[in-house]
Amino acid sequence: MKTSVKKLVTAVSASVALLGAGHAAAEIKIGIAGPVTGPVAQYGDMQFSGARMAIERINADGGVNGEMLEAVEVDDVCDPKQAVTVANRLVNEGVRFVVGHLCSSSTQPASDIYEDEGILMVTPASTSPDITERGYELVFRTIGLDSMQGPVAGKHIASLNPERVAIVHDKQQYGEGIATAVRDTLKDAGVEIAMFEGITAGDKDFSSLITKLKQADVDYVYYGGYHPELGLILRQARQAELDTVFMGPEGVGNKDINTIAGDAAEGLLVTLPPAFDQKEENKDLVEAFADKGEDPSGPFVLTSYTAVQLIAEGIEEAGSTDPFDVAEALRNGTFETPIGTVEYDDKGDMRSFEFVVYEWHSDGSKTPVN
Amino acid sequence: MQDLLYFSQQLINGLTIGSTYALIAIGYTMVYGIIGMINFAHGEIYMIGAYTALIAITGLAALGIAWLPLVLIVALVCAMIVSSSMGWAVERVAYRPVRGRHRLIPLISAIGMSIFLQNYVHLAQGSRNIGFPALIEGGFRFGAADSFQISISYIQITIFLTTLVCMTLLSLFISRSRIGRACRAVSQDLGMANLLGIDTNRIISATFVIGAALAAVAGLLLGMYYGSIDPLFGFIAGLKAFTAAVLGGIGSIPGAMLGGLILGVAESMTSGYLSGEYKDVVSFGLLILILLFKPTGLLGKPEVEKI
Repeated sequence: MKTSVKKLVTAVSASVALLGAGHAAAEIKIGIAGPVTGPVAQYGDMQFSGARMAIERINADGGVNGEMLEAVEVDDVCDPKQAVTVANRLVNEGVRFVVGHLCSSSTQPASDIYEDEGILMVTPASTSPDITERGYELVFRTIGLDSMQGPVAGKHIASLNPERVAIVHDKQQYGEGIATAVRDTLKDAGVEIAMFEGITAGDKDFSSLITKLKQADVDYVYYGGYHPELGLILRQARQAELDTVFMGPEGVGNKDINTIAGDAAEGLLVTLPPAFDQKEENKDLVEAFADKGEDPSGPFVLTSYTAVQLIAEGIEEAGSTDPFDVAEALRNGTFETPIGTVEYDDKGDMRSFEFVVYEWHSDGSKTPVN
Repeated sequence: MQDLLYFSQQLINGLTIGSTYALIAIGYTMVYGIIGMINFAHGEIYMIGAYTALIAITGLAALGIAWLPLVLIVALVCAMIVSSSMGWAVERVAYRPVRGRHRLIPLISAIGMSIFLQNYVHLAQGSRNIGFPALIEGGFRFGAADSFQISISYIQITIFLTTLVCMTLLSLFISRSRIGRACRAVSQDLGMANLLGIDTNRIISATFVIGAALAAVAGLLLGMYYGSIDPLFGFIAGLKAFTAAVLGGIGSIPGAMLGGLILGVAESMTSGYLSGEYKDVVSFGLLILILLFKPTGLLGKPEVEKI
């Protein structure tokens, strides 16, 4: 009861904020749905920053078929219940294209609503394979899948010839999904899995888990989940003098892990989308971000930018703003975007998407591992 | 031998976390013992204590003061002052006006207060996890270097000792001091205590202040132990501490200590020998069992219906 009242308060205040936003002369509304508040809001910042930039630049170039794009921003707090609420609000606002959501567990229920209401959704961050498994026509993503990311991580660990590996996850759709993919890859490679265990997202005390890891005497620990928990695990492991190497998915790869873990974040391995902001052809765009004082290096900034760009190009290609025509155009076209050439399969997944292993440093920087 | 070391390590982990549950549980148990209401905003008071301590530590660091005892004392005093005034204000604003009404009314008022405080910190400090400096680092290690070693960090020892000291002082305060005697009188019969010239409003305020001050101690200690704080973490900790209070017998101070330790050890043993996934299942299962077979809790006295 307590939480639902809290959500209500958030929803009411967010809708008041939306009312205040007023109406520009725009004609095509693009919903941007992601966490503005909550424990993973920093990923939301990346998403909003990328999507806003794309909308600005497209509008500055005269819009899409002469029509301007208008952003309708909503906050889902990375909470499945809240995601449904904001999805319904986007429906009421008459939005027909959505960039979002971010957390797989939010994207999943929200996409049911969008599909029913004929709204096209492009998620710039959700990597759970289940999202595109349901044969939906209007669901796309500009990011790879756990089933692509997990094997990259698994193969990397296997290539280091570990004797025993522990896998921990946060029991959420994203974390457990990717942890399972890593486990399967490692099993195929013949690596012994000493432990496969869930923790509770939001927990603060991991001393028992760390003692267990110590006892299990593992060489590597893979963590499926987000940075608030892994940051604490790293820090408490350092305190208990557990010196195994940790590895995590892109959900742990942002600078906030350093504020929590401090020096203990040094040497953490992370699979991330390649650093799109380092690519030569994106120089212009990176400068545009720098001019606004924003940082395009986060994993979801340029994927969100691309999501907006794809929607715009899809509309142009289809010559219509009917989401079904746009979906058709996206499935049949080939698009040059900041994250590379995008082609879609029937499910709405990109035909290819690369993940790269990085080593994380205690100052928040990262270097690719070969 | 290895198994024994592993067991001891899990026991130490459990006692550490259990003693902080106990510190927070005191706030629930004292308030319940005196006015028979459950102060659901107590977890938020604890969270605010942790934030205040962090702000004080950051402030001192900005001033270039790094002498550890001073930093700890200043942080502790700031946290206790802010939390205590918060505890006092919450009672004054949200509970006193509805005191003596139907039991549900103060309860709902408390839940409202909890939501308000949570969202206030949300707005004031942002919703992200904030790193908390460790301050007390290092520890002892036991066992052969090539096999499993027990490590007890200084912060774990600090937490355990601080809890013991606080509990002893509180027990002495309640049993020996004038205010403590008044507290006991009020908890036995509020109306009668009033007739005998005890300023019951003052005593009730004092209860809130003491509970909040202890919660602030827990906030500082746990912030350093875990390493990060966020506006929601008071809620979960509050729930656990409330369970500990009920387990030990709500209204009883030694009960809160015992309940906290049992809950902490049960949790760490479950994660250690079963799986972390069953941690909460076991702790709340324990609560259900206690409520079924000994509804007053382990050390609680059977409640005599007051007329």
